[in-house]
Amino acid sequence: MERHHNSVTKTPLDRVQRRSKSKSYRQSLRSCLGATCLTPALTTRRLNISRRAPKSHNITEKVNPEQLALMVKTEWQLSYVTPLYQFRHTQLKSYSRQLSAFIAAEKQQGLAVEVEGSHGSFRVSFSVVQGMSEAADDAETVLIQIHLKRLFSRQDEPAKVVWSGLLTCINGSPDYLRSLPKDFTCLPLLCSSGAEGLTSAVKSWFQQTFDCYFGQLEISHTSLQWMIALWTNCQTESAIQFLKMIWTLPVVPPLKVTYTVNGQDAWELWSSVRKDPQKEGNGEDEDENSIDIEEVMRFMQGLKSHFYRHFRLDLSAGKLDQVSTALGSAKCSGMIKISNSKYMISTLTLLTECALLKMPI
Amino acid sequence: MAASFNRSGPSDLETSSVNDQSVSSRSSNRSVRVAEKERRKNEAEDPVVLALKYFNDVEAGTPVNGNDEVEKQLVLVEKVGYSRGLSPDAISVMLEFAMSLRMGTTLCPRVLKCLIPATTVPQEAVVRAVVWLGVGKIPATTQVLFVKWVLTVFDMIDEKDQLRAIYGFIFNFVTDENLCPFICHLLYLLTRKESVRVFRVRKLLELQSKLGRQPFLLHLLSLYKVFCPELVTLSIPSRMRSGFKNHTSPWKSALLFVQKRNGSQVSSNVSLAVTVKDKTSTRKRKHHHLELPKLSSVVNKPAQTETSSSRKLVPLTQLHSFAQLLENMHRIELPSQMGSLLGSSMALHYLDCVQDESALLRLNFWLGYSLHEEFLFCSDGGASQYSEEVLQFLNRLLSTQHFLQEGFSSSEAFLYKFLTVWDGALYRPEILGLLSNIPVIPSSQIGRLLFEPLMQLFFTSSLFFKCGLIECLNNMLLKWLTWHSVYALEDDLDISLHSHTSINMTLSGFKDSVMELVLFVGRLASVGLQLEGCHSVLLSFVLDFYETACDTFLKYGLPLVLLPPSGVFYPALLASDPVSVDRLAYIMYRYKANLTSAKNQEKVTEQAFHISRQTFREFNSYIAVMANYLWNSRVFHPGMGVQLEKELLLKSNVPEYWTSFDLIHHPAFMSYAIDFHRKCWPGRKDMDLNSIKLSKPWGWYLEYLFTQGFDGLKLFFQGNVRQQKAQGDGQGDSTPTQAR
Repeated sequence: MERHHNSVTKTPLDRVQRRSKSKSYRQSLRSCLGATCLTPALTTRRLNISRRAPKSHNITEKVNPEQLALMVKTEWQLSYVTPLYQFRHTQLKSYSRQLSAFIAAEKQQGLAVEVEGSHGSFRVSFSVVQGMSEAADDAETVLIQIHLKRLFSRQDEPAKVVWSGLLTCINGSPDYLRSLPKDFTCLPLLCSSGAEGLTSAVKSWFQQTFDCYFGQLEISHTSLQWMIALWTNCQTESAIQFLKMIWTLPVVPPLKVTYTVNGQDAWELWSSVRKDPQKEGNGEDEDENSIDIEEVMRFMQGLKSHFYRHFRLDLSAGKLDQVSTALGSAKCSGMIKISNSKYMISTLTLLTECALLKMPI
Repeated sequence: MAASFNRSGPSDLETSSVNDQSVSSRSSNRSVRVAEKERRKNEAEDPVVLALKYFNDVEAGTPVNGNDEVEKQLVLVEKVGYSRGLSPDAISVMLEFAMSLRMGTTLCPRVLKCLIPATTVPQEAVVRAVVWLGVGKIPATTQVLFVKWVLTVFDMIDEKDQLRAIYGFIFNFVTDENLCPFICHLLYLLTRKESVRVFRVRKLLELQSKLGRQPFLLHLLSLYKVFCPELVTLSIPSRMRSGFKNHTSPWKSALLFVQKRNGSQVSSNVSLAVTVKDKTSTRKRKHHHLELPKLSSVVNKPAQTETSSSRKLVPLTQLHSFAQLLENMHRIELPSQMGSLLGSSMALHYLDCVQDESALLRLNFWLGYSLHEEFLFCSDGGASQYSEEVLQFLNRLLSTQHFLQEGFSSSEAFLYKFLTVWDGALYRPEILGLLSNIPVIPSSQIGRLLFEPLMQLFFTSSLFFKCGLIECLNNMLLKWLTWHSVYALEDDLDISLHSHTSINMTLSGFKDSVMELVLFVGRLASVGLQLEGCHSVLLSFVLDFYETACDTFLKYGLPLVLLPPSGVFYPALLASDPVSVDRLAYIMYRYKANLTSAKNQEKVTEQAFHISRQTFREFNSYIAVMANYLWNSRVFHPGMGVQLEKELLLKSNVPEYWTSFDLIHHPAFMSYAIDFHRKCWPGRKDMDLNSIKLSKPWGWYLEYLFTQGFDGLKLFFQGNVRQQKAQGDGQGDSTPTQAR
């Protein structure tokens, strides 16, 4: 993986030095940019052009099954988050209280709410998802859940979860992560699911508390193609059953094409476009399983030309909106569902990368 | 705060007596002591003093009904109170009298109403009265009246430390239903960070659950939130915008009257209102990411903060004046969202001093996020439309950068991406403004990041854009050079390549970047002028640029001299407007000054920078061309920059073509020549411009031109041509001096 790091993300940090105006033939921090240190903009950040094929992780052994079940069964809306300032994994209890109070105050405009104590119907819980992080630089994943206590519920009835969110960073670019000062925690990917109102309340609390900002994270055309390839590649280990793609073609009226391929057929096509592993196999073992963007493109080309042969419609003119297999589904609008926990890590790695690409600096 | 009261000015009680005394002072050699005694005696006789003495000494339980004495004295005090205001002592006495209920409850409101302070209100009196509030059986309405009075004169209370010390005592009155709104207001005025405690928060919340959404509770709580956001949170609906109600009616007019009369500067806090939200932010915004965050204090404090030192931190929200900012400079707490600093001009002053790299990084994250979301990530095509809001945002950013005199790195990073997709029209002035603020780019990157996208834009856009861009690049160069001259000075850099290399950028690295920029503008300008038919407006902007570029050494101490390309030089020299020619002459004059000075320095110090022969050669040939064209009538002379075949020139049928660009025949100056001719030989019918060329009229003609405001030509002429006259090369005209 390291060898293929193409997305060089230079960051503010290797540029910032303590500013002392008295002795500096250089620019101040706000604008510093000099010969020896470049702004991120000076280097192009791109999506990796090669990534390791997803290995089935024995994540079930590491992660709390309850949390895992939640992550798997939910369809998430994705957002990117700029680094969190002064976020501490040790303070989660206090964050739970603060966010509960904040939501209560938002719900009842014009009523003050004590931070300590109970806040009516909403209860928030923050928890660390142990065992998710892959690389040493990754911050631990945080799960946020909002429970709704029904007014007339029975005492023993568990509060219903009405909103959940996952702040995560899996295999984030080490260059970027290391460049941030200690005060910042980078959890660039937010997966949320629940009422829109609660999402925006949570976001605005985070903004006010950690000075971080949220933006919509779409899954680009290329990322969707990556997903297709990564998922198809899993066929031998766990059947994808089908590969479904939804395309939109720019004609009037817009033409929507749903293109479903049998899982095994997709796998056969995929193995035919794969580079001969023997040829490059003399390298390290890790690389044996890596997938190149060219392979992905060849695979897509194969799928498209097959479609063209049958329907005389060239899909390359269109836009890939949605892909799904038995392992999960992804929409270009930034909705994702991961159905098989085994391949969750590789999917989240891809999404973390997409989120990091959105960082303003 | 109310500060400028005048202790030395005698209170109103005394003035009359003192005046009397000064009139009646019979002997001037009286000792001061005797005078003092006399004054006291007179004072003692003053009816008002007597009245106060009465109220001071009156025994508890004295009946009011049918008591003419009390009525008489009170009327006296009231008269003074309403006309001139009461002295601090008088206020103490009367307040004590009223609140102690020595003569029952009936007089109390009447006394309170006439308590108009002339200067200040002694704090002790207020504290004592508050204590009476606790022990006495004062009727509810009078209690309210008293607190209202305190609110009215709050800014005139001389000190507030003791009042703050009894914060807890005052706080207890919030449970009183009648007093609650007014006590909340008073507490609002007294609250300091240390007064915010959990049990007080709980009490107020308890009241809130009892009384419902009361603005007074909410405003006090919102202040608590400012100080201790970890204890309480709330969100104030926009309709609850107004602050505390104005409780000052009974005294307002009387107070104003007294203050006017006394010419006092003491302002009472009559119009205290909490501004919760400004109007604009309540409007539903389309672009949420362009909203400046609200200035609010930090909830989430670093782990080690709960120490005594952190208790003293002052949230930026609590500072309302520059003086306060200075006072608290060492202990200001940054707001929870750094982006909010852009919203207040005072915060910007502080931002200028912020050294904390994390804080600046936070600001940059926010700014970069906002710009990216608005211009690059927008999926709804929001950015391609012009909107007032975006304009406001950009202008705020620009004015901030202007204030700080530097750009933000996130806006810089944004611009590099945006330039590649910009159409050159959307928010043109603002984007060009931001662009001119970007700091020096290393020469290895400058082409890819800046020149390539700009070149595309330049050649595909209108004349207007071209001018704008050249102006922007001129500003950029100016800022870079200014930056250099400031920092080079600070570092005590002598102008040499060997001197210390900087952390971020070496002198030679900086020089390379500047060189790239100047050469780039040279290329743009040459082609641009050609494309636009040497449009004089564009030419003017180009010459602006070279007016900056020609002075890099003398004005900014940068050892670099770069000449304009011939694509700029000739269009300026042959321009049809005299201003351009004059400015070119001025620029060449400055180039000469820079080159000679560099040359001299080279001789003095061994380390001086080296200017290539090529530059001198080029400069000399430019000078020669100018002199030959304008003075010597030797156009298209062999060996000069522009050469034409002799046959071609003859074919053109221009008579005496070699004179066609001298100061007489130059299209820009022809009208001056004609005018001069008329003035010189008024009687002559036939105009022969060549007669100006004769030695004597030529000198006069030059003088005439110089009086027309062509200072550039004058300087150029004086510096380059005249001294040659002495040598006289036989033809009576001049040859240029050459820099060597």
